[in-house]
Amino acid sequence: MKIDLGPVTRLEGHLNVKTTINNNIIEDAQCVGEMFRGFEVILRGRDPLDAQQITQRICGVCPYAHAIASSYAQENAYNLDVTSNGRILHNLIQGANHLYDYLLHFYQLSALDFVDITAILQYGGKDPDLVKVREWVKAELASGKTYPAAPFLPRLSGKYITDAEVNIGALKHYIESMEIQKKANRASAIFGGKFPHATAIFPGGCSQTPTIDHIASYQALIHEVRNFIHQKYIPDLVAVAQTFPEYWDIGQSKGGFMSYGLLPLGPQSDSKRLIAPGILFGNNVSPVQLSAITEDVKYSKYSSASGLAVKDGELVPEPKKDTAYSWVKAPRYNGQMVEVGPAARVLVDYHQGNNSRITELVNHFAGIAGITPDKLNSVLGRHLSRAICAAVIADFVLDECERIDPDKPGGTEIEIPESGEGYGTTEASRGALLHYIRVKNHKVEKYECVVPTTWNCSPRDDRGNEGALESALIGTQVENPEEQIESVRIVHSFDPCLACAVH
Amino acid sequence: MLDRREFVKVAATLSTAFGISNLPEPVRAALKKIDPATIPKLIYLQGQSCTGCSISLLQAESPSPLTMITDYSQLSFHADLSATSGKQSLELIEKFISGNAGDYILAVEGAIPEDMPEACVIGERTFASYLEEAAHTMTAAVAIGSCACDGGIPAAEGNQTGAVGLQDFYSKRNIEKIVVNIRGCSVHPDWVWHTIVQLVKIGLPQLTEEGSPNLFYSRTIHETCPRYHDFQQEIFAKKLGDRGCLFKLGCLGPQTKADCSTRWWNGGCTWCIDANAPCIGCASPTFARKKDFSFYRINKKG
Repeated sequence: MKIDLGPVTRLEGHLNVKTTINNNIIEDAQCVGEMFRGFEVILRGRDPLDAQQITQRICGVCPYAHAIASSYAQENAYNLDVTSNGRILHNLIQGANHLYDYLLHFYQLSALDFVDITAILQYGGKDPDLVKVREWVKAELASGKTYPAAPFLPRLSGKYITDAEVNIGALKHYIESMEIQKKANRASAIFGGKFPHATAIFPGGCSQTPTIDHIASYQALIHEVRNFIHQKYIPDLVAVAQTFPEYWDIGQSKGGFMSYGLLPLGPQSDSKRLIAPGILFGNNVSPVQLSAITEDVKYSKYSSASGLAVKDGELVPEPKKDTAYSWVKAPRYNGQMVEVGPAARVLVDYHQGNNSRITELVNHFAGIAGITPDKLNSVLGRHLSRAICAAVIADFVLDECERIDPDKPGGTEIEIPESGEGYGTTEASRGALLHYIRVKNHKVEKYECVVPTTWNCSPRDDRGNEGALESALIGTQVENPEEQIESVRIVHSFDPCLACAVH
Repeated sequence: MLDRREFVKVAATLSTAFGISNLPEPVRAALKKIDPATIPKLIYLQGQSCTGCSISLLQAESPSPLTMITDYSQLSFHADLSATSGKQSLELIEKFISGNAGDYILAVEGAIPEDMPEACVIGERTFASYLEEAAHTMTAAVAIGSCACDGGIPAAEGNQTGAVGLQDFYSKRNIEKIVVNIRGCSVHPDWVWHTIVQLVKIGLPQLTEEGSPNLFYSRTIHETCPRYHDFQQEIFAKKLGDRGCLFKLGCLGPQTKADCSTRWWNGGCTWCIDANAPCIGCASPTFARKKDFSFYRINKKG
């Protein structure tokens, strides 16, 4: 039986997943990216300094990651001397953006897969937010509308949390998180100018000069976010994990893991990072070689050559291509499939023993859940990895504030050479993000992006090997093949961003 | 663009849709209580978009986003928030679009790939085909963000998909439907939500020649900029990070109509120019359109 899961909601953009089911087991899965814009071609011939603005518009959920990757690439292309302040402000902006993104993902994008929204009808307490929601849902259900209580109903059939207290708590935090994510974004906007799409980020730092009142506001906002992470987000996640322990064993991807590392600890482009880069196959971590990355397009809707290295990338759309089923390209590392994202970030760091706090948190939660660290490769593992990153990043950015030199420039003067090229790598909340810029005649000659969801929602490569999410879906048992809430939970655990993936 | 006659026609349509047409004007204007039965249902569809406008809508302060989608409107479908998914969500969308689920307002984020319809598909049907069908059943449309209004970055010079905004898309098909254009890349949440409050409580807002609400888009950023005084005194920023008027670094405030300079962003804590970032004209109908028209005058040799 063939079932399409698209459009899969509560993720960024246009994703379909075509599944083949036999005896309630997913025999085949194809990830289909359904939207194309062509950013890399649009960027050609433009002023290079347009790039960190234009590329933010690849994704309005994680624009800052693109601004940072583009800034790093330009810094390398221009041989820019970055100041300590410049790097710290980049880190503060990007760190805060990660925090908002994790909360948005857990509550708005994922919670409704687990939490029973109808539990609100039995709520007998006095919390004004919850009373309001209860009355609203009641009135909606009595209204005779075709779709009452949208967008929270209808929903897929399946097993939801039955413990009333857990449901009510999570719903309350769903509402609260909508306020808290704003605080994280306000913090990043202090230095970025606004969110989404920061205008104050440039190669080398920010146009904003950090002052003590900026720093105090930033810290106050992040403190609130940090409290929410520890007091609400992590306990809610643990409650979900306790209710659905089978999801430690569901949704394993079947390749390696790659992370570019996150948040440089110094201004130089080769500075050590808070979360270490690396590529992990089995238990072996090795340094990432960008030259090992190629993009296949046999199953992607392009007529340009397949298997090109990043700096040689081409983009000639062929929407009616016979063999193709997705607008997403298929990036591979030495021809091998890898998963990127929070689990990759945490596993790659953990296996190197780089960040002691990550090691400690992985061991702590693995102990609580009774799992081994390799189970981070699962639906719950990806959720947990986000929470671990959130805890580590929140502490780091608060400390990082203390290293700012107040009232000194937040950036540096930029001179764009006649020609040059540079790579920029960072971790978006969704995983490994690479930008490449080549400048000629002071203009962009070539711009290439290989984005987290390009890896995770990749279609088959030229040899027919599936992408990370496809591999995680295949073999899964589903109770109701028509709706497949199990598959939707797997998809959501990757937090796909299709606007990023295709760009 | 809307002429006066169309304006009145639409205002009447919208008033009927919201069930306040029988009230005298002052009563209508003073209407404080919102009837849950008549709040507009929003079907929010995304085309060639980055979701930045949706994320911006979540940054609203007062009213809060949750209040906006329950008390002032009902967000019947939004791909990022709806619990429903897959076939179930397609049935919901199609029930509205085919006119079988009552009145609704179409909210569109993102451009439409006019020359390559396959470049945006929802459930194996092109985004364009949804918009064509919706034109016959919706009360009106709100184009959210520069992509939906004018094509935005997907429509920038050299693009391969022939991206256009909603109004252009309908004009090319001789479809006469009201499109309220809320420009910005991304939009400020107030620009959208307060337009919806206006629609619910009063009716169609006054629109500029470009079809955007007067309330937010009638003056240039430059006119009300806190650094206008610097401009008059010829105190100009010479390099990035300098304070003073940013005009010489390429600030597009003088030709961009929006109220960022008085409204500010992210709960009013900051905005581009306060962070010494030149306005890049993201609320302008020609935002990012031409390769030679760069955002900054910093790359002097370029």
